[in-house]
Formats: sequence, structure tokens, C-alpha cells
Amino acid sequence: MAPGGSAHVNAEWEKGMVPFRAFPGWRFHCQSLNLILKKAVWWYVTTILEDAKIYSSHAKKSSVDADDVRLAIQCRTDQSFTSPPPRDFLLDIARQKNQTPLPLIKPYSGPRLPPDRYCLTAPNYRLKSLQKKVSSSAGRITVPRLSVGAVSSRPSTPTLGTPSAQTVSVSTKVGTPVSLTGQRFTVQIPSSQATVKSATPTTPTVQNVLINPSLIGPKNILITTNMVSSQNTSSESNPLKRKHEDDDDYDNL
Amino acid sequence: MAALPEEPAEVVAVKPDPDAGTPPQQGRVSHCAFASSFRLAYKLLLYGNTFAVGGGVVVEDQPDVSAVLSAYNQQGDPTLYEEYYSGLKHFIECSLDCHRAELSQLFYPLFVHMYLELVYNQHESEAKSFFERFHGDQECYYQDDLRVLSSLTKKEHMKGNETMLDFRTSKFVLRISRDSYQLLKRHLQEKQNNQIWNIVQEHLYIDIFDGMPRSKQQIDAMVGSLAGEAKREANKAKVFFGLLKEPEFDVPLDDEDDEGENEEGKPKKKKPKKDSVGSKSKKQDPNAPPQNRIPLPELKDSDKLDKIMNVKEAARRVRLGPDCLPSICFYTFLNAYQGLTAVDITDDSSMIVGGFADSTVRVWSVTPKKLRSVKTAADLSLIDKESDDVLERIMDEKTASELKILYGHSGPVYGTSFSPDRNYLLSCSEDGTVRLWSLQTFTCLVGYKGHNYPVWDTQFSPYGYYFVSGGHDRVARLWATDHYQPLRIFAGHLADVTCTRFHPNSNYIATGSADRTVRLWDVLNGNCVRIFTGHKGPIHSLAFSPNGRFLATGATDGRVLLWDIGHGLMVGELKGHTDTIYALRFSRDGEILASGSMDNTVRLWDAVKAFEDLETDDFTTATGHINLPENSQDLLLGTYMTKSTPVVHLHFTRRNLLLAAGAYSSQ
Repeated sequence: MAPGGSAHVNAEWEKGMVPFRAFPGWRFHCQSLNLILKKAVWWYVTTILEDAKIYSSHAKKSSVDADDVRLAIQCRTDQSFTSPPPRDFLLDIARQKNQTPLPLIKPYSGPRLPPDRYCLTAPNYRLKSLQKKVSSSAGRITVPRLSVGAVSSRPSTPTLGTPSAQTVSVSTKVGTPVSLTGQRFTVQIPSSQATVKSATPTTPTVQNVLINPSLIGPKNILITTNMVSSQNTSSESNPLKRKHEDDDDYDNL
Repeated sequence: MAALPEEPAEVVAVKPDPDAGTPPQQGRVSHCAFASSFRLAYKLLLYGNTFAVGGGVVVEDQPDVSAVLSAYNQQGDPTLYEEYYSGLKHFIECSLDCHRAELSQLFYPLFVHMYLELVYNQHESEAKSFFERFHGDQECYYQDDLRVLSSLTKKEHMKGNETMLDFRTSKFVLRISRDSYQLLKRHLQEKQNNQIWNIVQEHLYIDIFDGMPRSKQQIDAMVGSLAGEAKREANKAKVFFGLLKEPEFDVPLDDEDDEGENEEGKPKKKKPKKDSVGSKSKKQDPNAPPQNRIPLPELKDSDKLDKIMNVKEAARRVRLGPDCLPSICFYTFLNAYQGLTAVDITDDSSMIVGGFADSTVRVWSVTPKKLRSVKTAADLSLIDKESDDVLERIMDEKTASELKILYGHSGPVYGTSFSPDRNYLLSCSEDGTVRLWSLQTFTCLVGYKGHNYPVWDTQFSPYGYYFVSGGHDRVARLWATDHYQPLRIFAGHLADVTCTRFHPNSNYIATGSADRTVRLWDVLNGNCVRIFTGHKGPIHSLAFSPNGRFLATGATDGRVLLWDIGHGLMVGELKGHTDTIYALRFSRDGEILASGSMDNTVRLWDAVKAFEDLETDDFTTATGHINLPENSQDLLLGTYMTKSTPVVHLHFTRRNLLLAAGAYSSQ
């Protein structure tokens, strides 16, 4: 229902603009500003009336009456606008504050600033230390992954592939259309390390396998794969933990 | 002297006794027993309070539930309000000329209070016709208020408007001579004028003074604020307007000075002696506050060096006067696109800061020396701390630039202030915070949150450490840089606090407000010690004279008013500007007052002449006003126009060169 539509609407509009006429200086000479003002008023009135309709239907009344409109206006103003505290409140808190004597100033105390947590002087960044980088690379989980031909798909979480103890075929999936057709990576892992025992405290060590780019050929992609034993070993938790630490989780400092 | 109601509260209507044959007593009718007894209790409470406080500082605004409630009680019949008002109007117009001007002061507050009462008690049609009939009779300087009032037609409109609510619950103060008051009282106590008398008692406070009735001119000079004038009691407290004693130190003779002529060398030698003489006289100054009245930070070595520099510069200062006007150097901010909202210049005129509507704070170096920040911690550990120029070595040459931009606020920056030692910068903004920036690292150190509404002005104390801020929440707050909460809250204004300034002795704070009053507050206990009324628009600039005795104020009405702080009187009115005055500054020895305005001019006024020969004796302090001579034209020493740059800031250098700042606006 746009303003300036039918003649009937216009008449209603002129009636609605009466309070603005009582206010000299509100009539702008520019026609487009008048229109903007009308649109703003229309938007406001429509919002209030819609709210009032909701309130009246909630109260199971047959029509919208003045109380509903009043309630709608009240709720909107409380939401959108706050006004400064009233005078008696201000006088009260002023009296309380002004009763305490001015604090004495300590001599020779350097820059006089509030306690650190009220200042903005704390650093808002944290440097990653080099030590962490070296150790975490051992536990790094593959990012990105590579699809190897038409290999059987594996779930995204790093789990061991075929349960053979001797060989583990690692197949990875990645979005990039790098196809290494026909090639299958099998990595020999010493058997002792490949045993998967979920509850063993002596966890199989995790090895980082760096695949030589020359193996891949002209594609020249370096893959860092990580064989991680199945979920519940503590060694797994370590690399996962480190991964989380690598995330930008500064709140846990 | 308070106007006590001499009649008791209304007598309860006597119920006719059905058994008795006599007709009921004709007494003055009240609404109900409860209301009348309540009103009596309220009046006793109100006057009881003022008497209890007695001499000294008056806490004039006690929050009182009964005050709020009784202000909303209705007096008399709403349909007859027009009759009451026109009856009073007729009486005043027929009174003697000498009394008419004073009694005409009643029109405006009565009109507003009666209108608001009609609106609040939901008599819309009566309110509307009342307004239509009488709003044209009011004085021209109340037109802005009347425009706001015309849009308040319903009770709901009043609820969110804190200023209107404060106006309703506070009493409008009128100052009337005793003769005029007797006349008025006699008229209003006649039987048919009861209702008006009740309304007058309810909403007005009539401060009676003994003396000649004032002329229209005198009254026009002093009225205009939202709460009427100031009661004499409000301006009777003792104010220590003297300056604090400066510490003595010997000014060393420099190589520089020896190179100069002998004439310059001679005053140099005399300087240390002069200081001791000066300090002796200040010891006995009864108007100066005791040194330890408020705790002040001790002087560091760098401060002492600064003071020595100051004294040296003072010796080279140009003596200004009507025949020796200062040169004016204008700094125009180009390409600011009307976004320049605040400017400040350091005391030694080495840096200038601009606060902008895009929420940035920009610092420029005025001298050829560039702005540098200190080195990082790693580099600082490498320098030799014992060397003489360690203060130069800690600065990082790689960061040297003429301009530094400080980001941090999230709203237009409305006030900026350098600390006296040039280490810190304050800025206050529409986002409700006051930020402290370091000028050694050019980073933000603290954000002081207290006002939750736009903060319009802030200023460091002349001794550093304390600062004051004033904002939309109608209070001014005193902070110290090492407390995250304010130390003092100065509440009492009826509308936004738009301008805040420290007195040179740091014991008092002047605040100018949108309610058209200027108040002087005591830092020690937060009390309001002076109220100055007379401006007809919100006050935007304040300046204390260097000797601490006088205050100059400028507002949107284009007038500069001069006030004697000790006596609490208006002592001068400077007319000439045609638009809001945003900048006021006294020269270094107080001889010249410079004012800068939105009408693109800087005007210089003769301050010595304005303040000499004031007839401030006991009689005038009792009456509360002196005869103001119409001498604006004589006092005006010069008008200097910029092409189209409103003047936002003025600053006298230590040698009395006047610096001015503003943003070029192309219209």
C-alpha cells in the first residue's frame, strides 16, 4: 500500500499529515523530501498497526482498539530508544559518589592508568612459537587430500584402511581434480606400528609419510599423509589436540 | 528570601450535615482531604529542607516522591484556565509601568505550566485552544521552546522527554522586587483569583529582593533559561577563585639569552626575584584555595623544565592592549567535508589535534619537528640510558611523520584535549566513551565508559591527572586517569551538558548546558556553587580569565556574557556576533578576549576595560544584578573575517600570538 496511490489513500494521507502541519518548518521545499517523509511515516504507522493487530488477536478481541495501539507504541519505543536516567536517580547517585573524598595521589608512580584489565593496552595477538611448529608437523593431519583414481572411497576421518597388518593403503579424497590414474599408493609400515589396539596405552607411533614429488610425476604435488590409528587412542588425541591448538583458539590461553 | 505561602492549604469542603438545619460552610474548595493534606505536607517538606540547609551551599533539588506526585495534581477547572490566564494578563497590563516589566516575567512560566498540566491531565482540546490563544504573547527568545511545546499534545508525548519532566517537577525561579511582589500578592489573594494563586505557588518560586524594580532591558539580559533565573542563595557560597601558588624555582640564565641584547639579559636576571615577590603576595591571597584542598599530582622534572620554558617565553610575550592587537594565524582544515567537530592545541603550541565526524582523531605537528613514536621494547633495551639525550634516543626515527591518525572511536569525536605535559590526549565521542591516547606510542590506552550517551565535551585539568566530561545524560563527570569510574558526578542541569571547563586552580568546573544555564561546581564535594542565567540558547563555549576571577560564556544567541565569579553577577554583555560562538579565549595576561563564531569572524574585545570599575558592593550582590552599560561597541577592538570558514577553536600562544582553527566550508 504505497503512499500516493489512489485518491482515497491520498485523502487519508493528508489527514495523517495534519500533526506535521502544526509544526512549522517541517514542510520542505523539495518534493522528494516530502515523499521520503511520507514514506517514513507510513512505514512507522504500518509497523505499529501490525503489532497492535497481533496484540489484539492475542487478547482475543474482535478488533484493534486504542489500548492495543498504545501497547504497540510502548513496546516499540522501549525497544528502539532509551532515554537518559531520570533526574532524581541522577541526583541520588551523584550524592553517593560525591560523598567519598577524592583519593590521594601516590607519588612517583609512573603513568597513572587504571588496572590492566580496564585498559586497552593488552596485546590482541599471540605469536606462534617455532617449537610448536616442529612437533605439530609430526601430528599434522592431511590437508588437502587427493583422490587416487577410482579407488574405493574412504571416510574423511583418517582411519586405517584395509585391516591388513602389513600393508596399509591410503586413499584420500580431495576436491581438486587431480587424478593419478592407475596409481595406487601403498605404504609399507612396520607391523609393530600398525597394530591397532584401541585401549593400549603404548600407542603405535604415528608416522609422517612424505611422498616424493618425483613419484607423482608431472603433477608435482606434495602430500603429507598421516596414518593415524583409530579414534580412541591417546596418541590420536594428541595430534588432534595439537590440531585444535593450531586453530585460532586464543580464549583457551 | 523565600516566598512562603501565607495562607494555609485549602480547607476541606465541609459535608453538609443532614440533621443540622444550617447550610454548609462556604470555604475554599479542595478536591479531597487526602490531596490537600498531602500538599501541605509537601510544602512543609520543601521549605523545611531549604531552612535546614541554611547558609552556605544550598542543595536545591531534593528528589522527592511527593514533589513528583503533587506536580501532577490539577488546580481548578480546566475549562477556566483561559479565564485565569487572561485575567492575570489584564491585571499586569493595567499595572504601573515600573512594575509591568517585572510582572510580565510571570507570563511564560505560567503559560507553560498550565499548558503542560492540561496536557498531562488529558484535556486535549482545552490545551490546544489555550495554546492557540496565548502563545503569540510570549517573548521572542522563548520561540524554540514553544515550538517544542506545540508538538506535545498528549500525555504520552511527555513521557520520554526527560527535559520536560524535569521542567515540570522543578520550580521556575522568578526574581521580583518587593514592591512588585506586594502588588501581585494583593491581587492574587482576592477571592476570585484563588486558582491562579494556587498555580503560582505550585510551580513558581518567587525570589524577592529589596531594591528598585528592574527595567525590561535588565530583565531581558538575565532571563532565558529553562528554569528561570538563579536564586540569590544559589550564588552565595564562597568560591575560591584565586590561583594556586606556583612553586618557586630559579630560572637559569641560558646561553640563548646571553646572546641576546642587554635589555633582554637584564629582565632575565630580575626574573627569579620577581617570582619570589609574586609568591609572597599569593601566600596571603584569601581567595585562593589551600594548596592541598584537592590532591594534585606532584611536579616531575619534565614539568619543571616546562615551567621554566613557560617563564622564559613569558618574558618575550607581547603586551597586548587596545593599541597593540595580536596577530592572528588561522589554521584551515581543508577537505574535512564539514566533518571537523573538535580541535585542540597544546599549551606550547607544538601540536594540533582534530576530532572528526568519521570517528578518527588526527594529530598534526605545528612546528617543523615531526611526530615520532617511541621505539619497540627490543630496541629500547639497546640504548644507553645514561646519555644526556636519552629522551631523543627513545624516539624511533622511522616513525617520524607530520600526521598521526588515531582510530578507535565508533562515532563522531566531539571533544579533544591535550594533557599539560603533552603525553596524553583525550577524546570524547558520540559512542559514549572518553578515550585516553598516548602521544608517545600513538595508541589508545584506556576507554572510560560511564556516559551511555553521546559525550559532548571533555577537558584535562590544568595540572593533569583529572579530567571532566559532559554529555547527553545531563551530568558532568570528573575522572582521574587511573580510575576506571568517575570520581565525581555533577548532576543538576535540566538538559544536555554541552561544554565543560576547569578553573585555572583546578578546584572548580564550569559547565554550560542546553538548558541555557552555566553552573560552577566544586570538585571537592560536587556541589553546585554558582548558577548563571542569561543566555537564550545552548552554551557552546566557556573561558576563564587567567586570574581566575571572571568567566566568559558564549552561546547560540551570539552574545558573550561576562560573569564575576566571586560575587556571582553578570558584569558584561558583548553583542556583535550573529551566530553561535564556538570559541572563546582570554589572552595570556587577560587583557584581550577573543571570540570565534559560526559567522566566520574572530572578534577581539577589550577585557581590561570590561572588568574595570565594577560597582560590586554589598547592595548589588544582595539584589543580584548590576546596571550593565551598553558598551559593546566601545569594547570591540576588531573584527576579522575569514572567507567562509567558521571558527571552531582559538588559542593564544605563550607569546600572545592568536591561533585560530576551523574547517573550510564551501557554502
